[in-house]
Amino acid sequence: MKNKRFNLLLIAVVTLVAVWSLWPTWRDYSFSTHLGSFKSGPDSLRYAMSNRDEIENARKKSLKLGLDLKGGMHLVMEVDQVDLFEQKAWNKDAKFAAIMNTVRTKASQSDARVIDLISAEFKNENMRLSRYFYDIRNSDQEIVKKLEKESDDALGRAKEIIRNRIDQYGVAEPVITTQGSRKLIIELPGVSDENRVRNLLKGTAKLEFRLLRDPEILVRTLDRLNTYLVQNSVAPPSAPVADSSAAVSARLKAAKPVVAAKPTSAKPLYDVIGIFQNGTAYTTEHSKEFVVSLLHRSDIQALLPQDTELLLSAKPDIGKNGEKLFPIYLVRKTPELTGGVITEAKATFGSQGVQPEVLMSMNSEGTSKWARITGANIGKRIAIVLDGAVYSAPVVQSKIPSGNSVINGIESLEEAKDLEIVLKAGALPAPVRIIEERSVGPSLGADYIRAGVLSLAWAFCAVSVFMLVYYKKAGIAADIALVLNIVIVLSVLAGFNASLSLPGIAGIVLTIGMAVDANVLIYERIREELDAGKALTSAIEVGYDRAFSSILDSHVTTLCAAFLLFTYGIGPIQGFALTLMIGTAASLFTSIVVTKEIFSFLIGRNLMTQKSFG
Amino acid sequence: MRIFHKTSFDFIRFRKIAYGFSLVLLASGLISLAVKGLNYGIDFRGGSEVLIRFDKNIDVSTVRSVLDVAGISGSLKQYGLDRSFLFSTVFNGDTNDLKSLVSHALDDRLKGNRHEIVRIDAVGPSIASDLKWSAVKALLASLLAILLYVGFRFELKFATAGVVAIFHDILTVLGLFSILGGLFDFMPLEMDQSIIAAFLTIAGYSITDTVVVYDRIRERIRGQKPSEYERIFNESMNQTLSRTIITSGTVLLSVLVLFIFAGPAIRGFAFAVFVGILIGTYSSIFVAAPLVYDWLRLSKSPVHLRGSKVS
Repeated sequence: MKNKRFNLLLIAVVTLVAVWSLWPTWRDYSFSTHLGSFKSGPDSLRYAMSNRDEIENARKKSLKLGLDLKGGMHLVMEVDQVDLFEQKAWNKDAKFAAIMNTVRTKASQSDARVIDLISAEFKNENMRLSRYFYDIRNSDQEIVKKLEKESDDALGRAKEIIRNRIDQYGVAEPVITTQGSRKLIIELPGVSDENRVRNLLKGTAKLEFRLLRDPEILVRTLDRLNTYLVQNSVAPPSAPVADSSAAVSARLKAAKPVVAAKPTSAKPLYDVIGIFQNGTAYTTEHSKEFVVSLLHRSDIQALLPQDTELLLSAKPDIGKNGEKLFPIYLVRKTPELTGGVITEAKATFGSQGVQPEVLMSMNSEGTSKWARITGANIGKRIAIVLDGAVYSAPVVQSKIPSGNSVINGIESLEEAKDLEIVLKAGALPAPVRIIEERSVGPSLGADYIRAGVLSLAWAFCAVSVFMLVYYKKAGIAADIALVLNIVIVLSVLAGFNASLSLPGIAGIVLTIGMAVDANVLIYERIREELDAGKALTSAIEVGYDRAFSSILDSHVTTLCAAFLLFTYGIGPIQGFALTLMIGTAASLFTSIVVTKEIFSFLIGRNLMTQKSFG
Repeated sequence: MRIFHKTSFDFIRFRKIAYGFSLVLLASGLISLAVKGLNYGIDFRGGSEVLIRFDKNIDVSTVRSVLDVAGISGSLKQYGLDRSFLFSTVFNGDTNDLKSLVSHALDDRLKGNRHEIVRIDAVGPSIASDLKWSAVKALLASLLAILLYVGFRFELKFATAGVVAIFHDILTVLGLFSILGGLFDFMPLEMDQSIIAAFLTIAGYSITDTVVVYDRIRERIRGQKPSEYERIFNESMNQTLSRTIITSGTVLLSVLVLFIFAGPAIRGFAFAVFVGILIGTYSSIFVAAPLVYDWLRLSKSPVHLRGSKVS
C-alpha cells in the first residue's frame, strides 16, 4: 500500500514536471497565433509591446525546433593548421616548403592530426623540428607540445572571432562549438542570405599595409619571369628570346589565356599579363586564374626580388572597351603594419557619395607607427591588402598623424558593411575552410514540419486504435501511457534546451511503436495467466512480474544502440538517437508503472473483468 | 481479439528450410554487394547536393539539359514526387559559386517556371571519411554491447546466436539496398547516416523479439533433460508467437506511417527499418532460437542459464 502511494506520487510529479516544462511552449504557440490573428499591423505590435516580457520569456523556454524544421545553416569549418604551423616556423627554406606541401596533401586525405603528420614527415627526413620551430635547444616532444597548445589557442580564438562576426551580423541564437582539434561547428537558424554569411565566415580578415615597389622593378621582374618561362619550356631551340618590354603594352587583346600556357609562345608571360605605359601591370578576367596559379609556383616566387610578392587586385578596373582588368602589384613581403592595430571600422560612402568605403582608426601604437611610415614614404604608394588581395594602393600625399586610414575599391555598401564586421572582429589566426554545410530553406522546413506532425498524428492514431481493438479496455491504459510518454519526450527536450528535428520526430514516431511493446508483453502474459485459470488480480500481478525481465532486456538493448548512435552520430542523427533514448527510457516508466496504477484504480472501482484484456 | 492463439507449429523441424532460405537471402545480397555495390549518399561519398523545387511541373530531362548546356557537371534526379530535383556534384568548397551557377542557369533558360533552391548539402572528403568511420565504430560497438549484455543475462550460446541473427538481419537489409538501390524514384536507397541509424535501430530491436523467445525458453528449460529440448523450444516459440508478432506489428505500423508521411528525406530510413524488423522477427524465430537449439544439441551439455526465476 505504501508502495502504491509512492507510485501515484511519482506519476503525479512526473506529469506535473512534464506539463510545467512544456507550458512555455504552449504559451509561445498561443502568443504567436494570437499575434497572427490581429487584422492590422499596429494592433499586433501594440499587443506584442504590452506583453513583451511574457512573450520573450515563453519563447526562450519553449521547445526549440531544429535547423531543418526552422530553416538555417549548419556549417563545419576547419582551421588550416598547416598554415598555422607554417606561420610559427622561422628560417623557412625550400626544404621546409616541400615538407609542408607533403603534409598538406596528406592532411587533406586523412583524418590524422596535422601535428603528427608533421613530426612523422620530419622523422622521415631525419630532421629535427627545432630547425624551424622555436628554440634550437628544444626537443621534438617539447615542440610538438608547444605547437599543440598553439593550435588549441588558435581554435579557441577562431571560435571567438567567428562568434563576434556572427553577432555583429545579427543571427538569433547561433550555436558555435568546437570539435576535436581543428573543427568548428556553427549552427545558424533562420539565416536568409546564405551567400553573405558564407563570405563573412570564410575570410581570414588579415589586413596589411604594404609598400609598393617602383614600377621599373615590376617591369624588370616580369621580364625576368618571362625569360625564365621561355627557357624552361620545351619550346623549339630556334625560338627567339623574348624581346624587351618596350612595346608590349597592347598585346593583351590577342591573349588567349589557356593557349598562352603552351610553351610554343615566345612570350608566355606577356600573353596573359599586359603593361601600361605608366608601368602598371594587369591581367584580364579570363587569364586571372592562370596568373594566380603561376604566381603560386615556388620556382616563380624564387625569381622575385628579395622580400617581395606579386599580388592581384581584389576588384577589377574597367578598361576602355569595358573589359575587366585586374591590376598586378609588386609589394614588399613584410607588411609595414597589420590589422591588429585597428580599433574601429565604419562603412560609409566616400567623398563623392557614391563609392562605398570603410574608414578605420588605429590604437596609439598603430597611430604612431602609421605616422612614421607615411612620413618616411611620401610620394610612394602603400597597398592596403586584405587576405592577400590588394584593395587599393594610394600614393602617400603627406604624413598621417591621426591614425586614420581608408579602404576603398569596394563594390557595394553591403560588402563595405561586411568588411566593417570582419575588421572589427579581428583577424583569424589561420585560414578557415567550410568542409561541411547543410542549409535548409524556410519553405522546405515548413514542409518538414507538416510531414512530421502528420506522421506523429497518424502513428499515434494507428497504434492506439490497434491497442484498443486488440486489447479492449486494457488498451485504454496503454494509450494513456503512450500519451504520457510523448509528453515526457517533448518536455525533456524542452527542459534541456535540446531542439526537435525531423529525425527527432522520426525517433518519436518509432518510440510510439516501441513503447506499447512493453504493454503487449505484459498483456499477453496476463492473458496466458488468465487462460491458466488465475484470478484477475493475481494474473495481473504475475503478468507484470514475469514480463518484466524481457521488457528490461529489450529496452536495455535498444537504449544501448541508441546511446552508441548518439555518441558516434553527427548532427541530425543525434536528434533521432536522443528522442529514441528518452522515449525508450520513459516507456519503462509509463508502460509499467502508469498502466499498473490505472489497472489497480479500475479494479478498485470494479471496472475491470477477465474480459477487459480482450 | 486474438491472433495466433494456441498455435503448435513445429518450428524446429522446419529450421533446415529456414536456414536454407536465410542463406539464399544472404548470398544474393552479398553477390549484389560484390557486383553492383552500394549507392553511397553524400554523407559517405562527399560532394555537394542542391535540392531544387519548381513552381510548375517540369520534366527531369529538360532541367538536366539546361544544366548541361550551362556547363555544370553533375547528375540530376527526381526527388520525391513533387516537382523537386536533386542535383549532385563534386565538393569544391565554394557553395556560393555552385548555387549562383545553378540558379542563373535555371533563371535564364526556364523563365516562366520559377524555381527555389530549398536545400544545399556540401560534405568535404575528410568529413565523409570521418562519418564512415564513426558509422562502422557505432555498429561494431553496439553489436559488442548486445553480445555482452545478452551473454550476461542469459548465456554465451544464446548471446552469440542472437548476434548472429542481428548480423543476418543487417546483412539482408544491406543486400536489399544493393539490389534495389536506384530502382525507385521515390526512394533512392542511398547509404547515408540515416541508414546507419536504421541499422542500429534494427540491431537494438532485432534482439527484442529474440529476448522474448529466449526468456520463455529460460523459464521452461530449467532442470529438463536435453532430449526434451526440442519440445521445449517449439512450445516456447509457439507460446510467444503472438507477442513476437504483435510487438513487431506495432513498430511496423509506425514505421509504415513514417514511410508514407514523413517525406523523401526519411523514406530510405523507414524502408530499412521496416524490412529490418520484418527480417528480425523472422530471424528470432527461425534463426536465433534454432541456432541455440542446434548448438545445445551438438555440444550435448546441459545449459546453465542465469537469471531464471523459480516460481
